Amino acid sequence: MTDSRTTIFSIMFGIVYLAAFYYDLALFRYYPEVGQFHFLRNDSLGGVILWYGWIATAALASAAIAFAVPRKMADRLWSGWAWIIPTAVVVVMLIYERRWFVS
Amino acid sequence: MIVVLLILHGLLAVALLGAITHQSLSVLRTAPAANGRWTFIARFRGVDATAYATPIVVLFAVTSIGGALLYPKYRIDVRPALEDTQNTAANGVFEIKEHLAAIGLGLLPMYWHFWRKRNEPETAPARRYLTWLLAFFVWWNFIVGHVLNDIRGLLP
Repeated sequence: MTDSRTTIFSIMFGIVYLAAFYYDLALFRYYPEVGQFHFLRNDSLGGVILWYGWIATAALASAAIAFAVPRKMADRLWSGWAWIIPTAVVVVMLIYERRWFVS
Repeated sequence: MIVVLLILHGLLAVALLGAITHQSLSVLRTAPAANGRWTFIARFRGVDATAYATPIVVLFAVTSIGGALLYPKYRIDVRPALEDTQNTAANGVFEIKEHLAAIGLGLLPMYWHFWRKRNEPETAPARRYLTWLLAFFVWWNFIVGHVLNDIRGLLP
């Protein structure tokens, strides 16, 4: 992966992760009580971990986007987006997660 | 085994916390003291920040993998206990911890890439703010990990 594609991958990772988390787009689910991975929801298997699946979704989708973006466009990307977009992703996530702290 | 992994996870987090804090302070733009004296803070900041980039990437990745291995135990033993005691804030800070770890993993390639281009002044702000962002993630996750461990205890 070239330098500019690396930057696009990292920028997109946070955005896709947030979308995967918000819209429940986990690539797979892990049920720790039975130690099984499943692609589909299976409530009879106990508590579920979606985090691994969200990361996998974000990694695959952002890698695909990084390779799909034309090289010239990727090279013109302003370096400021490298920290502004991830910071915005974190702020949005923190605003959403306020739900745990308000009664 | 899980206790050994938990302690190892904590020790790696301490190393990561030290490295990212050194690097974060070293990219501050404040001028050194006028009298040229080497205070503790000046010594803490006066490191070769570039040398920390690769160890930080490795430590962040390895510590996150350790956290991922510990997660099933948390989901089975700790989270239900927190839910039973209506401790939603503790669950909330953990949710944020897992999101920050994931977003941080995604940032590592770009962070490493910008630190490799340390001689390019136009990328200095990106380097600085990415470092501070990762430092926030590491500090949050370290403190939350400790607090949750204190709530639940080390042994069953």
